[in-house]
Parts: sequence; C-alpha cells; structure tokens
Amino acid sequence: MTAGKGWWGQRRNRQLTLIACFLLPSLAIFFLYRILPLGWNVILSFESWSPLKPAAWVGFEHYVEMWSYDDVFWVSLWNTLIFIAASPLVIAAALGVALLVNSDLRGASVYRTIVFLSYPLMTVAVGIIWRWMYDERGGIINYALRASGLVDGPVGFLQSFDWALPSVIFAGVWQTIGFYMIILLTGLQSIPQNLYEAARIDGAPAYARFFRITLPMLRPSIFLCVVVGILNSFTSFDLVYIMTNGGPGHATELLITHIYKSAFEQTKFDYAAALTVVQFGLLLLLTYAANKAAGGNAGAVEQD
Amino acid sequence: MSLRQVRKTYDAQEIVHGVDLEVADQEFVVLVGPSGCGKSTLLRMIAGLEEISGGEIAIGERTVNEVDPKDRDVAMVFQDYALYPHLTVFQNIAFSLQYRNVGKAEIARRVAEVAAILDIEPLLERKPRQLSGGQRQRVAMGRAIVREPKVFLFDEPLSNLDAKLRVQMRTEIKKLRERVRTTAIYVTHDQVEAMTLADRIVLMHNGQVEQIGTPEDVYDEPATLFVAGFVGTSAMNLIQGRIEGGAVIFGDGARLVLPPSRYDAHAGKAVTIGLRPEHLHWAKDGDPNPLVGVARVVEPLGSDTLVVFDVAGCELQARLPPRVVRHAGEAVRVAVAPESIHLFDPATERRL
Repeated sequence: MTAGKGWWGQRRNRQLTLIACFLLPSLAIFFLYRILPLGWNVILSFESWSPLKPAAWVGFEHYVEMWSYDDVFWVSLWNTLIFIAASPLVIAAALGVALLVNSDLRGASVYRTIVFLSYPLMTVAVGIIWRWMYDERGGIINYALRASGLVDGPVGFLQSFDWALPSVIFAGVWQTIGFYMIILLTGLQSIPQNLYEAARIDGAPAYARFFRITLPMLRPSIFLCVVVGILNSFTSFDLVYIMTNGGPGHATELLITHIYKSAFEQTKFDYAAALTVVQFGLLLLLTYAANKAAGGNAGAVEQD
Repeated sequence: MSLRQVRKTYDAQEIVHGVDLEVADQEFVVLVGPSGCGKSTLLRMIAGLEEISGGEIAIGERTVNEVDPKDRDVAMVFQDYALYPHLTVFQNIAFSLQYRNVGKAEIARRVAEVAAILDIEPLLERKPRQLSGGQRQRVAMGRAIVREPKVFLFDEPLSNLDAKLRVQMRTEIKKLRERVRTTAIYVTHDQVEAMTLADRIVLMHNGQVEQIGTPEDVYDEPATLFVAGFVGTSAMNLIQGRIEGGAVIFGDGARLVLPPSRYDAHAGKAVTIGLRPEHLHWAKDGDPNPLVGVARVVEPLGSDTLVVFDVAGCELQARLPPRVVRHAGEAVRVAVAPESIHLFDPATERRL
C-alpha cells in the first residue's frame, strides 16, 4: 500500500470498481426481473391477495390447501414427475443416435443434421404439427396405423386419458432429441481415440469398451442432458398448452400449466404463487441432486 | 516375428512400401526415421490397429494379418500413454487381465509385482490426472508388462516428456529391458534414443527401409546418404567431389587420401563425400589428410567445441576439443583418417 494516495489510489480498488461497472447492467436486470419477482412471489404465497382486495397475511393457508384439498396439484405433480422420468429414455435414445452418427456410417453428417433440425423449431409450431398428426380423423398417424392394419378404429391420441400424456411426451422427445444428441456427440468426440485402441489391444470386447470407456467418459455430458431434461420438463408449458391445454380432464396437466390456469384463468394469483414456490423448490432440489451425482461437473469434459 | 513385403495404402497412395524385417526372440528393435516416414503406421499394423494392405506379418509361427489385436498377444505403450482417466492406476494396470480369465487374487499379485518393478507402489490408488508425466509413463509401461505378452510395442513413448526426464526414462527402459526380456519394437524419431536402446535399428524414410543394422553398423557404415545424415549427434558433413588417383578431390583442389585400393573400381567418378564432425580431429604434424581453413562459427559446448570453418571453398563442421579454437577468424587445422571417409554415389545415394 502506498501511503497518501487514498482509496482510489490503490490498484486493487480501481480494478474492483471497473469490474463492478461492467457487471452492474446485467446484475440490475437479473435483480429486477429474477430476484425481485421471486422474492415477491414467496411473500405473496403467504398472503391472501387479488387485484380487487388488499393483501392480508394468511401464513401457510395456501400450502395447506394445496396439500390437503387440491387434487389437481397432485395430478399435475405426478405428471411433471412422469415428464422428468421420460428424459432418461430420451437421453438413452439420443445416445444411440449419437453413437450411430459418430460411426463411419455413410452419410452420417446428413443424419446428424436431420436429427438436429427439429430442435430450433418453435415449440408452438411443433405442438400444432403434432396435434395435426395425432388427429383422430385426418391425422397421418391414424392413417398409417389403419392402413397397416394395426388398429381397427381411429385412436384419439390427445383425447384419450391413457394416451394423451405419452403422446405429448413423444412430441417433446421428437423436438429435443437432436439437442441431446449434439451434446452427447460433442462428448463422444472429445474421448481420445487411443483409449479405444488401448482397450482393443488390452482385449476388452465391444460391450466392455462401451461400458468401461464410453459411458464413464461421457458422464459429464450425460448429466448435463439430465439437468437440461429436468429443466425442460418443468417448463414444457407451450407444448402442453398448444396440444391439449392440460386435458382431457387433467390427464396432461403439469405444475406449470396448473400455475398458469390458477393465476390467469381463476385469478388466484396468491395460490399460484404458492404453487410456484413448490415448483421452484422441487426444481432446485432435483437440479442440485443431478449435479451432485455428476460429481459437480455436469457438462465438463473429463481430462486425463 | 517377421514382416514380409508389408505394405500400406491410403486412398490409392502407398505410404509403406514393402518392408521386410525378421525380429529374433527377445530382440529390441527400434524403428527410427523422420515424421511421416511410415514407422508408426508399420507399428500400428503389427498391433492390428491398421489393416495390412499387402504382405504378411507373422508373430511366432502364426500369420496374424487377419487376427484381432487382442488375440495377437502384443502389448502397446502409446505416445500420450492412453491411460484410462477415470480408472485408478491399479485398475489401469489390471484392465487387460480382467479380459484374459485371470483370477482376482492372481491379478492383485501380478499388479503388485509390476508396481514393484516400476517403483509405482504408492501410486496404485491414484487417478492418472494426479500423476506426473514420468509417473504416467511408468503406469503405461506397467499396463504392458503385466500382460506378459509375446511382443512389446512402443509408439514414441518418451516424446511427451521434457528433455531431462526423457534421458532418465530412457535409462529406465534400458534397465527394465534387463529384467523383462521380451521381444520389443520401439518407434521413435530420435536417433539418440534409437542408438542407445536398440539391439538393431531399422531406419525408415518415405515408407522405405533405408538400412537395418546394429547401432554400430548404421553409424560406421551408413548404407545411404539419408542414414549418413540422420545418424549421429551432429550431422555429417556432405560435400561433392571426385575420385582421382586413390584420393577424393573437392572444392577448389582440396585432396583427401583414401584407403589404398578400396575405391579403385570407381576411379574418375563424381561422389558425395561424408565426413563426421567428430572424425575431423585437430591435426598433428605427420597426420594424413590435413585440412587448413578459417573458422566461421565457434560454438563451445563445454566438453567440446563445434567449429564451422571454410576449406577450399567448402563449409565443414568439426567437433574439436575445447579451447583449441576460440574465435571466428582463427586458423583451423584438422585431419581425417582415410578409414573415416564415407563415399556415396550422388545418383543412387547409396554407399560406395
């Protein structure tokens, strides 16, 4: 420290000020649109409030209602968990595709592009296209099924209590598989080729090379996919909203659509706030657990 | 092990042109040459990692052209070690044994034995990323040794180490060789490694074998100009000249007497003269073939001094004792024994 130069005279302080100046705009936006609403949302969840009457503190009333009386909450929670549970299957399928397009298959790069093409599409468009394809009368899927003689009568995919959720999930899979594939492909390509050569000379058969080299080396990429999958499941609002709007009944209701309906159709903003807190907590927990399971380095590339 | 007319073609371009090589049991053969000479490709063909485009490779009595790498009974040490990063040192070394029907207790015993040989016992529970370059190198060798294979293959194993460690590991490999006597093929681009380790050296250039011989052979009697230039710590001086009356003439009239009658058949012929810098010694009175010139560059190395000097309009390099020449511009007087003169045919580039 140089005496007599004062606070501004110190190099370290000048640097910190500069850093703060650069960070401030994005921090301000982050605070204004993320932290502040989240905090306010938490407070709101403990209040009774609507645009027409002043707020009153009601403690855990909304949470008690949710836990004891709201059947839709439990259904939508369960559906959300099914949505999440589907993501390992998608990731497994994406891994299969990634392995295929990573091999010296003829035209692998063409397949790679085709598989990825669906990802940048707008989810709303994907929802509309799949709704047409699932359509009971004019849909191509029903047409194909009947033409091949697999079913006798038309199947109302999005109208059936049994089929609606799997059908929506499948459309989501179709859209996101390309994204997972790219992540996994990048992971695959970062595995040094000589490990496979060493393993071949060491005598490890193909399955052993997959389970003892490919999978462990791919772990960070796989867990990145899992985390993204969880996030996607929680936020698949648009797909469900377009395809089924939660129906039939509440067969495809997710927490996120339940929140939307509570707030904007039933104007129960306070109750929706409580639902949001629950969803946020769940999301935090699952993401933390997934990242923990990945050894805290989801998305990293394992180095030797 | 034997290679007969082994060829490799990539996209209609032949990069290994018919290599013949017989390797005796327990022999340590070093394939050496500049990068791109086909030495690594040849090694990978022996390992079974590259297909053989033509010819035949046999290990023992068995032709292995179509045999899977795992069934060839070879072990390989890779240039960048190729250790499995997510496995411990123990698991890395044990890896191959698990696929060869070796019992758990036996695996533990053999890994411990190898760890003792390589002095890596305290490292067995570590992951490769926690090891230094030299330690990784040892583990990579341990992984090969534990197999007790018929043939060891080394693919430039020391090239990722810094200079000091490389010399140290070179000695270690040499020591190891005394304990584990197995046939080995070792690929390197470093002629010093080749000279120090090899029982026999295979010099390769542009996909062809230039010379096969002991380190002494290739140093004393390089078969081609390429070998002459490649082997030796400081490169051989190569100058154009002509044989005339039992001597070679070069530059504007410098004359070196040749061993009597050895080159009589080539009288009058244009030749390339090869003189090793270490064979140009400081001349005493009465030495044959004195060469007198002026020093251009003086590079003291401590143990000796490299001097570049002009003789008869040609530039030569000599490795001289320290302090005989100190500065550029001083007079240089060296001599060379007739037996130390190498002559090559400039057209065929082969030794005369």
